[in-house]
Amino acid sequence: MTVDAKRENAKPKGAGREDVIDRELEDLPQELRWREWMGRIEVVLFASPIPVGRDDLARIVGQGVSVEMLIEDIQGELTGRPYELVQTAGGWMFRTKTQFAKAIKAAADLGDQTLAFTEMEMGVLCAIAYHQPIDRAGLKDIFGKDVSRDLLARLRFKDLIASGPRSPRPGAPHTFVTTEMFLVTFDLQSLRDLPELSLAV
Amino acid sequence: MTCQPAAISNDLNNLPKLPRWVTSGRAETLETVTFRSGAVLTVLDQLVSDPRQGVPVKLLANRLALTAAVATSKLEGRVAKEADIRDAYHLTPHGEARGPDGDLLAYWRKAARLRLTRRDWHAALIALVGPEFEMHVDGWLQSAANQSQSHGPLTECVAVMRSVLQADDRAERVACLMSDIVLERLLNWPSVLPISAQYLTKAMLRDLLGNGQGADLVVQKRILQSIEEAIRLARNLAQRRAALRKVAPKLRAKGSDAAVALFLSEDAVAPSTMLSPMIQGTSFPMTDRAARRFCDRLVELGVAQELTGRSTFRLYGVV
Repeated sequence: MTVDAKRENAKPKGAGREDVIDRELEDLPQELRWREWMGRIEVVLFASPIPVGRDDLARIVGQGVSVEMLIEDIQGELTGRPYELVQTAGGWMFRTKTQFAKAIKAAADLGDQTLAFTEMEMGVLCAIAYHQPIDRAGLKDIFGKDVSRDLLARLRFKDLIASGPRSPRPGAPHTFVTTEMFLVTFDLQSLRDLPELSLAV
Repeated sequence: MTCQPAAISNDLNNLPKLPRWVTSGRAETLETVTFRSGAVLTVLDQLVSDPRQGVPVKLLANRLALTAAVATSKLEGRVAKEADIRDAYHLTPHGEARGPDGDLLAYWRKAARLRLTRRDWHAALIALVGPEFEMHVDGWLQSAANQSQSHGPLTECVAVMRSVLQADDRAERVACLMSDIVLERLLNWPSVLPISAQYLTKAMLRDLLGNGQGADLVVQKRILQSIEEAIRLARNLAQRRAALRKVAPKLRAKGSDAAVALFLSEDAVAPSTMLSPMIQGTSFPMTDRAARRFCDRLVELGVAQELTGRSTFRLYGVV
């Protein structure tokens, strides 16, 4: 299932939630309302392991209130903190700043959470990112050897790649495309942020 | 691989019915371009809004969406070919990721389905331009509407493109889409035709953003060129529709009317998924074999052709 499809599925559930909280907060003075809305957005982003989209955030603040402006105010307060609130593929999320990566690694046993790639995995991921949609035969052309199904399954398990269109070859193999998680993981807004390759074609 | 003969269209029949003084003159200044755009838009307006002209507007829009996708792919630096984009869109199983090429075509097809007369068109538009531009959209449309009183439509198209690119210089597809929407609103068409993107290049948009000398004129000329091309395409498709209609009574397959209607709205038809087990958009069943025979029959009758040149995963379209 694609991320899009997941989102669409999630919508009906969200629709039922709307009545539960008071969105408008009309009995509060303007200043406090804004504070409360900022707080709500901050906790939702804090609590979520994946980026939260604009529509979901709009559901916890007053009708027609600009989520962007609230987020700007939160970001303003976070200057100088070692974590940041960033916009990434399709939403916003909290993220530690990269300069503290070593500190996190030293203190915490990341165990199987780590995304550590082997060189081959990284190579295959890059090949898919630049050549998507591409099937196994296409990857074989690039690497000169078969890319193991296990390796592709690992990338898929990490939700970095997904099935794309059928390749028009015998057997109609699936092609591979990158996911939104791929963009989030590598801090890209879109595939256009991939570094440009200076390959003469 | 089967080799398809290149379709050589008979230019005498396909030439747009544009007055000679429009097609012969070379556009040199903003004034002459504005002048010619008036003539050209009148012709296109007649073609798409008068059903008696026999232009299959849905098919026209989908065709334009495909070429717009090719053009924007180039603008965005991915440079996917038409065949790749078509394959990515039509060969993705339902519900799975299409990848960037298929997504781009899906984007333009959605754009072509925007109905500006419907009440929810604004929400549909926001879904296409993305929430980051939500605040800007009304302003863009408003200033285009205000200025169109005193300037020609192409000036407005270029102005809105510049505004979009000023907000985000990598939003080429949004810039082209907004330009298309401005055009549709000025002409009061019910739906959007993806026209603006067709002949633009990265350099032109860069110049436009940098207020380069004559940048407006260059972009206007290209939009004018794509409107002329859209007219040619519209007339061409009207003829193909007439030819298909003529042979339709000879097609005795069950559900052939529905299948013909599909050919008159889709630029590419995949027999195995779009005609069988059910003809797309209808509840007419068609077996895999019947679908293949139906397409072969259309090719035999000279009204359709196989588009990919492959022996499997074939896609057919009217010729």
